[in-house]
Amino acid sequence: MSDTILNISELSKFYGGVRAVDDVSFDIQKGEILSLIGPNGAGKTTLFNCVTGLTNPTDGRVILDIDGRDKIISSKKQAFKPVIKPDRINALGIARTFQNIRLFNTLTVLNNVKVGRHALTKCNFFGAVLRSRSQQEEERSTLRQSIKHIVFVGLEEKILDIASNLSYGDQRRVEIARALASEPKLLLLDEPAAGMNPKETSDLMNLIRRIRDTGITVLLIEHDMKVVMEISDRIVVLDYGKKIAEGKPENIRNDKKVIEAYLGTD
Amino acid sequence: MPKRIPRYTISFFSKNQPVFYGLLLLVVFFIPFYSFLGDFHERFMYISIMSMLYIVLALGLNIIPGFTGLLDLGFVGFYAIGAYTAGLLTLKCAALGPPWDILSNYWVIIPLAALNGALWGILLGAPTLRLTGDYFAIVTFGFSELVVLVIVNEMWLTRGPMGLPGIASPGIDLTFLYPITRFFFENPIVYSFKGRVPFFYLILFMMIVTIFIMNRLEDSRLGRAWFAIRDDEIAAECSGINIMRYKVIAFAISASFGAIGGSFFARWFGFISPVSFKFWESILILCMVVLGGMGSIPGVILGATVLVSLSEILRQVLEPWPDLVQARYALFGIILILMMRFKPAGLIPLSRVKRVMSTKDETILQTMNESFFSVSTDRKKLSKDR
Repeated sequence: MSDTILNISELSKFYGGVRAVDDVSFDIQKGEILSLIGPNGAGKTTLFNCVTGLTNPTDGRVILDIDGRDKIISSKKQAFKPVIKPDRINALGIARTFQNIRLFNTLTVLNNVKVGRHALTKCNFFGAVLRSRSQQEEERSTLRQSIKHIVFVGLEEKILDIASNLSYGDQRRVEIARALASEPKLLLLDEPAAGMNPKETSDLMNLIRRIRDTGITVLLIEHDMKVVMEISDRIVVLDYGKKIAEGKPENIRNDKKVIEAYLGTD
Repeated sequence: MPKRIPRYTISFFSKNQPVFYGLLLLVVFFIPFYSFLGDFHERFMYISIMSMLYIVLALGLNIIPGFTGLLDLGFVGFYAIGAYTAGLLTLKCAALGPPWDILSNYWVIIPLAALNGALWGILLGAPTLRLTGDYFAIVTFGFSELVVLVIVNEMWLTRGPMGLPGIASPGIDLTFLYPITRFFFENPIVYSFKGRVPFFYLILFMMIVTIFIMNRLEDSRLGRAWFAIRDDEIAAECSGINIMRYKVIAFAISASFGAIGGSFFARWFGFISPVSFKFWESILILCMVVLGGMGSIPGVILGATVLVSLSEILRQVLEPWPDLVQARYALFGIILILMMRFKPAGLIPLSRVKRVMSTKDETILQTMNESFFSVSTDRKKLSKDR
């Protein structure tokens, strides 16, 4: 299928006896905002980790489809078969943010975002020391692109601040800018609205929409139902590692299984 | 048009940074002519050379704990490898006669020593850099002890504990240019380093090159990748950085600077033995890095200068009491404890170096002003479309 960007099929991840992700399959379509919701411990972040290569699934696979070519980016670990590392997956066009913010705390906002462009540039030791004209051009374009992404998330006032000195909401935005700087086709956001005030949340929703409008597909984990219902094109619900529902926001809202998972049964 | 320009100002110091550093360099450059120091001048020259040698070493080590965030307790291993590479090549290859005696030329030895250091850095780093934190530190510590053990035991090559005496001073031999220079000078130009002055300029040159390289690395894709690994490995990995690869590169570069320092030491002293490469030497270099401020280039330079000068001055002051001379390292311990208590980030902490705006940042602001207009109109267009 040409309009599927990521296909997750029969993905499982067990930690000992704990089935963190259990036989989950779904597709992500190009250009949509897909939300992944579920109660705490439902396996959402584990699924993210499987997609970005931080852990290997116990079973199943993840197929990335960019410009018509299928590529298995994550599957069961097999002997003599190299595992695709997170840095390769980033270079293939998947970028992510983290649930508990992971910024480079001693670097400025600008340098944080510049790091995001690592996979798109190729200056080595000799290039760094000698600074030939092509290297200077590369560095200039890194600077220009990074500034573009910082302005895109609205942090141009704080461009030279140390990342750890920023407020929580701003740190989130730096993370998003860093992910965007690697020019991904698919962006994975892990609870971006956690700990934000209403104003910041609505700014964030606008930002996610603007990201989608630039043609980037967004996969979102979120607990804030207002955000989820308002911006998602489709929603996938996980509970105890299993997929229990998938569909449009209005259908999910009335789904019996979902209500059970969140509120419990009588 | 640009509505919000960042509220950053440029301090007087950073605006005139090149001027200050130029003045400092000028002061250092004329040290060999400070005859007003009288009897102390010889000693002062020695301290200067030692300081600059240790600045090169400390800056090389700084890449590992300062830039990449790994603890390295075995830096002196690479220093020893560089020294013995230089010493052995000089002694053995000079005796072989042409064409091999070219290998005993110091200008050929410098890159060879650097390559040999980098080679051992890669050989040690590639399998062990998967280890984290203290475990890695133990491996490096073991490596440096191993280097010393090999030197002590392989008598046929290194003469063991007796060391390698009589390593010739480097020289400049322009005999091969004689067809050109004979129009200006009667004899071929051959100059052998004598006394301290030529060594002073040699190590000064090496130090400037090292500082230059470090500054360039710091502000490059490579440096940013190291900083990213130091601050958060998982985030670095997910930003497209191959962690293993960049750690090995850091290790190789650091090792080659250690080896270059070692090669200078061998050709300057003319005598090397395993005693010079004891474990405490690693600790001393690490102390310089920690004292100055991990990862901050001016800090490391200051740290190396302070510790080397202090050590030499104390040796001078304590001369009447030979027992106390040996105990002067206890004072270093006290200084470090006090530093950790009152100024844990070092003399010139990295955060301050980063906070001070430099001229580089002016280009950032300029680029921002240029690109701001186009981006902000894009954004307006986007919101209108929606």
